[in-house]
Amino acid sequence: MMVFLRKLIWLFRRRTREKDLEEELRFHVEETTEELQLGSAPPDHAELAALRDLGNLSLVREDTRAAWTWSWLEQLGQDCRYALRGMRRNPLFTAMAALSLALGVGANTAIASFLDALLLRALPVPAPHRLAVLNWHNSFENDTVFHGGSGSVYDDPKFGHTSRIFPYPAFEAFQKQQSVFSSLFGYLPTRNLDLQIGGEAEIAAGEFVSGDFFRGLELTPAAGRLLLPEDDRSGTPAVVVLSYGFSKTHFGSAGAGVGQSIVINNVPFIVVGVTPAGFEGVDPSFAARFFMPVHGNVLVDPNRFARGGGRRYVNPNDYWIELMGRLRPGVNMSQAEAQLATVFHGWVETTAATEPERAHLPGLHLTDGATGIDTLRRIYSDPFILLSIMVSLILAIACSNIANLLLARAAARRREMAVRLGIGAGRARVLRQLLTESFVLSALGGLLGVLVAIGGIRFLTVTLENNIGTFPLHPGLNGQVLAAAAAISAFTGLLFGLAPALEAARVDVMPSLRGGPTDQPASRPRLLRLSLSHVLITIQIALSALLLIGAGLFVRTLRNLQSVELGFSRQQILLFKINARQAGHRDPELTMFYRDLQRSLASIPGVRSATVSNSPLVGEGTWGSPVIPLGAPAPEHPPDGHGSFPRGLNTHILTVGPDFFSTMQIPLLAGREFDERDDPGSPHVAIVNQAWAQANLADRNPMGQQIVLETNGKRQQMEIVGVARNARYGDIKGAYPAVVYMAFWQNLYVPPEEATYALRAERDPLALASAVREIVRQADSRIPITGLKTQAAMIDQTMTGETMFARLCMGFAILALTIACVGLYGTVAHTVARRTNEIGVRIALGASRYQVVWLAMRQMAVVASIGLLVGVIAAFGLSRPVESLLFGVKPIDPPTIAVAVVTLIIAAGTAAYIPARRASRIEPIVALRHE
Amino acid sequence: MPERDSSRIELLQGTLDILILRTLAAGRAHGHAIAKHIRQTSEEVLHVETGSLYPALHRLEAKGWIAASWDLSDKGKRARYYRLTALGKKRVGAEHSRWEKFSRAMGLVLNTTPKEA
Repeated sequence: MMVFLRKLIWLFRRRTREKDLEEELRFHVEETTEELQLGSAPPDHAELAALRDLGNLSLVREDTRAAWTWSWLEQLGQDCRYALRGMRRNPLFTAMAALSLALGVGANTAIASFLDALLLRALPVPAPHRLAVLNWHNSFENDTVFHGGSGSVYDDPKFGHTSRIFPYPAFEAFQKQQSVFSSLFGYLPTRNLDLQIGGEAEIAAGEFVSGDFFRGLELTPAAGRLLLPEDDRSGTPAVVVLSYGFSKTHFGSAGAGVGQSIVINNVPFIVVGVTPAGFEGVDPSFAARFFMPVHGNVLVDPNRFARGGGRRYVNPNDYWIELMGRLRPGVNMSQAEAQLATVFHGWVETTAATEPERAHLPGLHLTDGATGIDTLRRIYSDPFILLSIMVSLILAIACSNIANLLLARAAARRREMAVRLGIGAGRARVLRQLLTESFVLSALGGLLGVLVAIGGIRFLTVTLENNIGTFPLHPGLNGQVLAAAAAISAFTGLLFGLAPALEAARVDVMPSLRGGPTDQPASRPRLLRLSLSHVLITIQIALSALLLIGAGLFVRTLRNLQSVELGFSRQQILLFKINARQAGHRDPELTMFYRDLQRSLASIPGVRSATVSNSPLVGEGTWGSPVIPLGAPAPEHPPDGHGSFPRGLNTHILTVGPDFFSTMQIPLLAGREFDERDDPGSPHVAIVNQAWAQANLADRNPMGQQIVLETNGKRQQMEIVGVARNARYGDIKGAYPAVVYMAFWQNLYVPPEEATYALRAERDPLALASAVREIVRQADSRIPITGLKTQAAMIDQTMTGETMFARLCMGFAILALTIACVGLYGTVAHTVARRTNEIGVRIALGASRYQVVWLAMRQMAVVASIGLLVGVIAAFGLSRPVESLLFGVKPIDPPTIAVAVVTLIIAAGTAAYIPARRASRIEPIVALRHE
Repeated sequence: MPERDSSRIELLQGTLDILILRTLAAGRAHGHAIAKHIRQTSEEVLHVETGSLYPALHRLEAKGWIAASWDLSDKGKRARYYRLTALGKKRVGAEHSRWEKFSRAMGLVLNTTPKEA
């Protein structure tokens, strides 16, 4: 043990010891010289004699050094040095091998980092695996106890309609069941709120959390205290907890903000504490800046939560709060689920008002809360899993490529190996040296791969951030991912080093040394080698074909999405949003404020027209409430609210100001658009689109019809004054939605908060930005502008996922093709080099250049064709799983396959042709002399 | 330059270590002094090759039987002095008795008058 430690220390102090030894030996020589001089030898003779006495100085050093460390370590060092020297001698081989490995390992590490951030990273709380998220599911869509809410409901392939939002009374019912959870807590995102901190205005979003939230997550504050159950009651002082990062940027340190007052939507709040660093809420897709009690929503978002005197807290059919619990010790997930399902069933039964509702009751299930809630995961996990499969295929191609290159090199080094074996190296020793060389190569590749990964992660994050604004996941090269990369490259080293190394070490000494043709035609190793490298190339071509076809499908999907007919113009329009209500404006002055602002904006030079609406057309979901013709039977409890609901909203509503249709270039088929006269005092008017008219009025002429809107118990009657052509609202895929446009000035719908302005520009819309800011500042300097971007950018943003995905797939397919072509090139070049003599003889005997080229390429052509065939067949086989990710294109798409095949044939053909052409230029004389 | 003495005996494998340890048992010494001591004490019979001396010294140091430190020699030059460690002192005895056993065994074999088989 001590010996080990000492040797280890010496290993790190090698340089000092080297110097010590030098001095020690010098001292020895001096002593001997002196001694000899005493014996009366002449001085220079004496020194020479002393040196002679010492013997071979470097041997002494070498032997002494051997005592310092372990001999195997010495040999490893030698092998590594030899490997590095060999790599320097073959820069092309090294570059090709290391680069393909670096790209393979790098792409894998980058994607793994994203997957890790997306799927695996647990919430930064104690024992995250004891957390469970409550969900309800219902296979029925209509006539259910879900009458409306805030949040999202999605289609789950296993459960049907699924959601995490619950009515507040359900939360209270679950709390009574004490045996399952040690604590149960609720939360919901605040929307963007207007914060004023020390005179600075800012828009930020946080989370409303119930009193048990922090206790349930078992978090300890970085400063001050976290929220407690007594904070979450109506009528208590308004308190807020800030996230660590937010507190640091605004108050300089975590603790400095505690006790300060900040104004949120014009309500003063006291900062009581700061969450620990790294905790930004339970939704990894959204970084909460602050946390306030659930009941605080009545103060800061009265429009949504204070209407009807807190009705939302008692309405059992209004779904809006998300729930999570911490399991009691000894209770497992399925026991908890069973008990809670009974509780939920008993409760939800009492909320059914009609017979169909009773027949369509939702069920309850739990999901693991360790990684938080999974909004982002649901959207991105399939694409990222597919991407990770793609990158592992690329790594497979890279590895087989390197195996091929090493096989070729092993053949070229038969002579060297024979010499080594001949002068007495053991086969194990030779094998070890060859494996060391592969390891050094894979270490180099792995190291470069980490650099590629860092670059790749940064690139992906920046791209995502550019598109989504803030990308809340923080993928980084963490320990696990790095370990995975190291394992991949080490494994690769072993894998691709072993076969060629085994073969090289099996070399027959005598024939190779005799210097005869180094490839004896019929010997077993050669047959093996040829077939192995051919199999590898077949695999490479097949995988490249598969990736190319896949990439082609996703590129077509993106094309289809980009060319979807929107029904409105995407060019020359600048969008931005402001929220005057948060700055303190109230009805009816609020509407006047928005109207005046529209007028001022329209007067900016370079603006053709300006308009306003209560929501952008795409990118932010839709509003929806039932609207029916006067006298038609009212639907029973149709969904009502704002959010992203897959189906079930029969009528979508957009309130728009004057000039909306001309600005957006949505053609009116009949009637007029809203103008300045449509104010609260004038007759109530509406414009419907074709889809709504068709669904509700069948063949009747919509013009002049009376229609009725029912929302929140209010009834509004309006006259249709125009019919618009169908245009997208909300989603850009699928059928056109049925839309009723209402007049913004008449303010008949949900009172406006945020307003979206649209400006049609004469030239570059973004050039108007500074003028827009100035106008808004003049109107009210307290109001910040958000979401300033062009309509085109807004639409592109809805396709961020698809765009990224298609680009990555294309990039990976090209990468795969490149690596495969490098391999093909190397193999053909090697074949040509090996058969130089034969080719020379053939040319001398009168073979044409064409015949020689074909000779060199023939084998590759056969191999590539087989690979291509295998790839296409595999693409057929794998069409099912990707179908859900495609849009407007079938998974088996002949044009895509054709393009992929042709691309591959051209690329592979070129890669094989270049060395083959070189073969045809061989001068017979030179080739024969070569021998 | 002394003539190569035919009476010099090649050191047997493994004997150098005990010679070094025994020399150092008398007190610390640098490499040159150790070689000289062995040569003189053996009446010029045992010549330690420099090529084996230093590797042996460093090997013993690695084993922890001897330790080294820099110090000034009698003539005021910097020299690397070796001395026995506590572990080394124990080894001297063990190695010594091992050698005694070996040399006695050698003596027994060599001194027996050969008998006809």
